[in-house]
Amino acid sequence: MDIKPIFLGLKQNKFMAMLMIIQIAFTMGVLSSSVLVATTTLQEWNVPSGIPHNDIVRISPEFFDDNQDVGQAMFNDLKRVKDIPAVINAAPSNAVPFTAENMIDVYLATEEDAQGFKTVVFESDEQIIDVLQLSLIDGRLITASDVVKGEIDSTPQSASEVMISQDMAKVLFGDDSAIGKTIWLAKSADPVKVIGVYSNFMTGERLNGRGKSYHSIIRPQVKWSLNQQPHYLMRVEPGTAVALLEDIIDVFYLERGRYINSSELLKRTQKRMYDGRGSRALTFLVLSLVLLIITGLGITGLTAFQVTQKRKQIGTRRALGAKKSDIMRYFLTENSVLTLIGLVIGVAVTLSITFELSEQAGQNFFNLGVLLMTALLLWVVNILAVWFPAKRAANIAPAIVTRGA
Amino acid sequence: MFSYNFQLALKSLKERPALTLLTILAIATGLGLYTTVKTMSYQSSQVPLAHKSKNIFLLQMDNREITADAVEHQARMVDTTYKDTLNLMQLEMPGVKQSFNWSTYGILNVEDENINPLQTTAAVVNSTFFTMFETPFLYGNGWDKATEEGGEAVIIISKLMNDKLFGGRNSVGESVRINTHVLKIIGVLDTWYLNSKFYNRSFWPGYPDNFFIPYTFAMDNNLPRSAGFDCWAANADISRSFRTENKGRLINSECAWVTFWAEVPEAKVTDYRQQIMSYMESEKALGRFPRELEMYLTNLNDQYNYVNGRNQFLNTFSVLATLFFAVCLLNAVGILLAKFMRRKKEVSLRRALGAKKKTIIMQHLLEVIIIGFLGGVLGIVISYFGLQGMLNIRIYSSDYTVRVEDIQPLFQLNWVMIGNAFATGIVCTIVASIYPIWRLCNVPPASQLKSQ
Repeated sequence: MDIKPIFLGLKQNKFMAMLMIIQIAFTMGVLSSSVLVATTTLQEWNVPSGIPHNDIVRISPEFFDDNQDVGQAMFNDLKRVKDIPAVINAAPSNAVPFTAENMIDVYLATEEDAQGFKTVVFESDEQIIDVLQLSLIDGRLITASDVVKGEIDSTPQSASEVMISQDMAKVLFGDDSAIGKTIWLAKSADPVKVIGVYSNFMTGERLNGRGKSYHSIIRPQVKWSLNQQPHYLMRVEPGTAVALLEDIIDVFYLERGRYINSSELLKRTQKRMYDGRGSRALTFLVLSLVLLIITGLGITGLTAFQVTQKRKQIGTRRALGAKKSDIMRYFLTENSVLTLIGLVIGVAVTLSITFELSEQAGQNFFNLGVLLMTALLLWVVNILAVWFPAKRAANIAPAIVTRGA
Repeated sequence: MFSYNFQLALKSLKERPALTLLTILAIATGLGLYTTVKTMSYQSSQVPLAHKSKNIFLLQMDNREITADAVEHQARMVDTTYKDTLNLMQLEMPGVKQSFNWSTYGILNVEDENINPLQTTAAVVNSTFFTMFETPFLYGNGWDKATEEGGEAVIIISKLMNDKLFGGRNSVGESVRINTHVLKIIGVLDTWYLNSKFYNRSFWPGYPDNFFIPYTFAMDNNLPRSAGFDCWAANADISRSFRTENKGRLINSECAWVTFWAEVPEAKVTDYRQQIMSYMESEKALGRFPRELEMYLTNLNDQYNYVNGRNQFLNTFSVLATLFFAVCLLNAVGILLAKFMRRKKEVSLRRALGAKKKTIIMQHLLEVIIIGFLGGVLGIVISYFGLQGMLNIRIYSSDYTVRVEDIQPLFQLNWVMIGNAFATGIVCTIVASIYPIWRLCNVPPASQLKSQ
């Protein structure tokens, strides 16, 4: 089909054409900016946790009374909590999955320029593997005899063997087996030996934001002081966690002079980890959707108007032998030409908006793939918006010209 | 004539109800979102203590090392050291009030074992805090200077804490414990709403402090100091430990961490500034303040302006909402054009029969104003729900740690915003209709009648 008549037609109705182009350009600008902001915000969002987070309870108690024996309390806590029939297993831990933000560098050598690998260390006892339901990938599990326990000041020694996660092993040793290898948890620290590799689980937002969600190390040691008391992780019978929470809290309050800082299912910890950015991104996505609907309706309105304006021409063309599909194609092509121009301008608008936003936020929002996808989506919506009025146009009877109207 | 035009306008509105509705919806959606964002910005930029906010100043003195970098903005300047804080409090200037504070936290508990302890944030303040920031008291009062200087264990608790620990009764005179320290309650605050916690410069909305204790008590008992410590290199490595340890070293250090405020009447600002400068000079003579003497007095209004200008979420949202509104208006132009141009024949006939352009314009303008009005009404309804939605999102995303009462006013429509929304709605609709109306009233008389 010849594109020339379309340009002639557009020339005749410059304002309409301009309006449509500006509308598409603006829509493209706003739409792709908010989609870009949303997708950037949603990177690494709701990735698999690797643990049964619906059935794990986390309690973080804290003594405010200086006269308490933390070690004794820990012993009591673990005993009491394991006595609850629905509690399957429990472990103390210095970090909690989804909120383990205490990032460190681990090294393969101690030279000045040795490369650091970001990770978090979970210090816990041998039960942690069962509590988190991690599976053994390679090597062996930690056992009770590996665990170093004690009050911080009176326990200078540290565990010399660790387990590492699957992803951690891959980053550190590639395809080689990690078992028996030596790593350093700080350049000045004593080396530790890798004895096992366990399946991945989510650590927390700081590593997640760097695309290293599953980099972790489990070190079999439990150390405490009044300023540094471990959290407790408890796995319970599936589905009973919500009902059990109050009972578990009561057990921890049996120790006096203590305050329960945090008590929740890991499911909620996980929710909180993603919340802020999730709801923000969703706000932008909902707005985008509304905008798309409005623009779609607007385009439908404009095209319907043009169809009414051009009834006579359409009738004439039909009388001269144009098929229904020709009429449809005319409107669709006309719209596509306008859309294309609008999109090109829209991309420019988007670039300037995202540049401005990126400057403000100090974060790069731009992503070519997303931009092209948005453009494509807008095109499809436009075609849909034109489809119905164009169909009506195609149904105009050729006889209309002969009526002299 | 007006009522005739009005009737014509109404008739025309009803003529193509789908198009009319579409126009109204387009305007209302755009306006609704726009008003939602504007209301959020407006409410968070409302400066508290409006009657004297321009006389309440944050004081910052540059006590940093000679090697420190120049600061780009007042907000980046360090706060006040503990020793300067105490020295400045000695300054006597009639009409000038000074106050300082920092944040702490603690576990509030009572003897009653049925009430579980609560951990909560709190402010460490001096006696003038309550008068300078006009905190509302439900029971009792603030403390006086003598109480403070005696290091007495007194405390003022929030209404929320009073409700939780004492069931809302007048608890003045009773005791409460922070961790293991026993303190006597001398006052209970009534609900004290602040759109953001400005006094410790965090500008955080939604987490009001739940108890207030004298700085002397906090220091004597080494309660944690939740502050950022801007230290000289000598102390930089242990600056984090100052939160809970090394109190003696902190007190004598050049670490700046106390937020210092002064309420200075207009006429005395120059005097006050001079007095601070001469204090700095006298300290310089003793070997402190090694850099070129510099100080900032920044009033509350300016601080709010600065902080609000940097609200990243609101800024992004604002840009997008404005563009969104623009797209909606462009849509309205298109739909209005389609709607009006259908009436070509009727208009050309009326023109041929002698109707003036002015009449045609008036009639359509009226129609547009009605559309704008309806769009405004619907837009306000939409923004109401938009704000409710944003409120719920905020509460959800804080994982329910914020209470609705504490942030609800940030998402509250008021008459100013409603008035603005109406005006914006009507003006923008009129602007959007200029071209369609112009096209319509320029239809040549009788031109459309030829073939009928």
